[in-house]
Amino acid sequence: MLAEQIFAYAILGLGSGALFAGTGLGVVLSYRGSGVINLATGAIAMLSGYCYWALATGEFGVTFATPLAVVLTLLFSVVLGVAFELGVVRPLRRQPPLAKLVATLGVLLSAQAAIVLAFGDTAHPQPSILPGGVVTLFGVTIPDYDIWMAAIVLAVTLLLAAGYRWTRFGLGTRAAAENEAYATLFGLSPNRYSMGNTVLMALAMGLVGLLAASINEVDPITLVLYIVPALAAAMFGRLTGFTTTYVAGLVIGMAESVLVFLGGQSWFPTSNGGPLPGVDELLVLVVLVVATFFRAGKIPSRGDIVERRLPRAPRPVAPLRTAAIFVPIAAVAMWALPFGFREGLITSCIFAISLLSLVVVTGYLGQLSLVQLGLAGVAGFLVSHLFTNFGIGFPWAAIVGVLAAAALGVGFGFPALRVRGVQLAVVTLAATVALETFWFSNGTWGAGVLGAPVPAPSLFGFSFGTNASFHGLGGGEPSPLFGWFCLIVLTVVALLVANLRRSRLGQQMLAVRANERAAAASGVNVRNVKLTGFGIAAGIAGVCGVLLSYSYGSITASSFSALIAVALVAFVYITGITSVPGGIFGGVIYVGGLFAYALLDWFGLQGNWLNLAVGFLVVMSLVSRPEGGATFLFYGKRPSLWPRASKDPQGKMPAGGVVNDEGEQQMERSLAPVEVEVPS
Amino acid sequence: MTAALEAVGISVSFGAVRALQDVDLAVDQGKLVGLIGPNGAGKTTFVDAITGFVQASGSVRLEGREISSLPPHRRSHLGLARTWQTIELFDDLTVRENLAVAGGRPSLPSSFAEIVFGRQPRAERLAEEVLGLLDLEGIAEEMPSDLSQGRRKLVGIARALAGKPSLLLLDEPAAGLDTNESRDLGRRLRRIVDGGLPTLLIDHDMGLVLGICDEIYVLDFGKLIARGTPEEVRRHPDVLAAYLGKSAAEVEPGASKVGAAWAAVAEGAAEQ
Repeated sequence: MLAEQIFAYAILGLGSGALFAGTGLGVVLSYRGSGVINLATGAIAMLSGYCYWALATGEFGVTFATPLAVVLTLLFSVVLGVAFELGVVRPLRRQPPLAKLVATLGVLLSAQAAIVLAFGDTAHPQPSILPGGVVTLFGVTIPDYDIWMAAIVLAVTLLLAAGYRWTRFGLGTRAAAENEAYATLFGLSPNRYSMGNTVLMALAMGLVGLLAASINEVDPITLVLYIVPALAAAMFGRLTGFTTTYVAGLVIGMAESVLVFLGGQSWFPTSNGGPLPGVDELLVLVVLVVATFFRAGKIPSRGDIVERRLPRAPRPVAPLRTAAIFVPIAAVAMWALPFGFREGLITSCIFAISLLSLVVVTGYLGQLSLVQLGLAGVAGFLVSHLFTNFGIGFPWAAIVGVLAAAALGVGFGFPALRVRGVQLAVVTLAATVALETFWFSNGTWGAGVLGAPVPAPSLFGFSFGTNASFHGLGGGEPSPLFGWFCLIVLTVVALLVANLRRSRLGQQMLAVRANERAAAASGVNVRNVKLTGFGIAAGIAGVCGVLLSYSYGSITASSFSALIAVALVAFVYITGITSVPGGIFGGVIYVGGLFAYALLDWFGLQGNWLNLAVGFLVVMSLVSRPEGGATFLFYGKRPSLWPRASKDPQGKMPAGGVVNDEGEQQMERSLAPVEVEVPS
Repeated sequence: MTAALEAVGISVSFGAVRALQDVDLAVDQGKLVGLIGPNGAGKTTFVDAITGFVQASGSVRLEGREISSLPPHRRSHLGLARTWQTIELFDDLTVRENLAVAGGRPSLPSSFAEIVFGRQPRAERLAEEVLGLLDLEGIAEEMPSDLSQGRRKLVGIARALAGKPSLLLLDEPAAGLDTNESRDLGRRLRRIVDGGLPTLLIDHDMGLVLGICDEIYVLDFGKLIARGTPEEVRRHPDVLAAYLGKSAAEVEPGASKVGAAWAAVAEGAAEQ
């Protein structure tokens, strides 16, 4: 009986498994076509899904028959693909992989914001495009469409695999990925192949959006976050194998479905009466980590013509003097501004701290970590639970929270010793999702759905929480006392991060960022420097989490969601990921911050308009001002902020290789000494 | 006196390819030793093996201390410094900072002081000194990418010197330099070695190597085929064969036209 039930649930998981697999195919297509690790594939599927829903349900006043709606939706996805290619992939062709990945994060953010603005964030039911019968298999009755979905995606997978192996297009794509320069010399146009692959990716995502109609209602989140299991599947396929990706996606879907069944069993761990939440996200994380460790090493890298790197991290000239100018202004503003603006300023201060943590880990150390917000959440939840469970308040709870975040950050740093920048981004994205669902949403050690209370901070009986009685000139809550508290903390953190850049530890981080082999040869212990950097960055993130929990007075899982983590990275890339001003100004323009409140108050623009704009802005700034606006303002006097590609006529070894993994990277070139012409 | 570097039986394999077989090499105190060989002979692999960047068997002793089981950064701490054929500067740091990274390990308290109190790192004066040694004053605040190829090469050497090493390994420092630059480099290297730093020099510029080295080793297909003074190496039949692609029997040292031409090249270099 049990085996039969497990089997039934596994088959029921075919549907979502097919969607994971389909989204994974999109990731593979993007990577093969242009070397982009495309985190926006799920978002593109979501856009197509909304298109189908709108056409099929008459959202725009005209209701189309299902077949026509399907055709129109696929056309729409082709248009999306062309736009994605021309607007994102092509302008960023010469950018480092990390910049490409951040650009796709921007697209994800824009797509999501656009949908929320247009249709709101509630889910809508939609007609299925598949027949709705049932079939009995080994005595188990299951709906048809799960099997249909798996079969359709399988057909697509096989077509793609065959096409890449045997057609000229597939051959050309492989050639262009292998060595762009040679492919061009042979008369192939890498641009055309890139376009072809991107359109194929968009078509596949259109199909995923359509198929999803059978098992999901359309909403702006579900399909977007399918990217996480899809990435796990694609990693198993080394970002290039269609069939492996398909199988892995299907297996993940089936395993999640079986977990739902197991969740109903009496022995399954429970939390507040329900089965333990987040186990499936944890499963995806484990799959992804396994895939990254055992498969990703063999992901073929691309033979792009130029590899550009992260923008330069300028050395701060006089951080104290800069602070002496800006801090008093902010302090007076805290006191004088009306409460709405004051709240915006406080939020800006708090998120600036989390962005400074990204400045350390990405700007200085060169590792893109999307788990910083999750680490902030760890600290925040500890502050809440230390109080409710043990009665520990400020400052001890805050200190424990920050230290715990730092320790966990070092823990997350260990995988980063093995995986490179872009893959780390993928793993940490999954970690953020898993932290949110498994820890923060958990009723016992997280916040459940209601939120966990956080006491106002006070020292020696003097409270300086948001509800302190001092209200300043602007009046209302949050109290300027809390604002000043946040401002002081931000100032201290910012000065530390600036000093870090000037210290020898910071120089070692940048040396590691630039070239791990040469750093090791210069006596830098690459492993320790990385772990220290992760620890420092995580501690800073923890500070942000503590302040966030104090500012809300209670803490919920949704404050630390993966989508917010993604948005933070996009914002700080616009202002500058490599400098302290970049981090701080990123906080100023961040959603919910000072600038966003001004937009709302003066123009009635919701935060989602800002998110929508940021997606576009991040692509634009990556192309035109990669060091970021604020970094440019503060340090832009020098003529070249971006390290130019080496002019070494003999070509350059790939910089930043991991120590000890490639043996002799290059054979000696010219045999210079004796080219003897025999005198006659 | 213990040798600055004593490598015994160094072998490296990449899969089925044996890149180095049983190579013995020693660098005595105060000596400038050359390592030459045709393309693919394994010279860079040898440097990688000594510095710990490839898996190698054999024994490596630095001033008598066995270091073959240590990771690269530990070898560096013990006084082993190298440059790279492809330069490999830290492109995100200024020249001064490049040197500062190599100039010493920050201790925990000093890191703390630098980050919390904003104290400036102390490696700066040392950097100035080393730059002076290579006539590189005035570029301390430049970014490596703004420098010419020749300058970048020199900065690479300066960075290796900044760690106050006890042995210097130079991998093709003259590649890409013109004749004048190469001659300048030779003079500077001699000055550095005479100042007491034993050095192993790998280069394709025969003029440079034959002109300034005290002793020369010759590698071919991963095996040591000759060792001796520049004069001895220049006349060694196996060396001529390796470079000119003829078997030893065909080449009569000093007699054949080819040999004469080769000797002329070497002679010209020696006059520098």
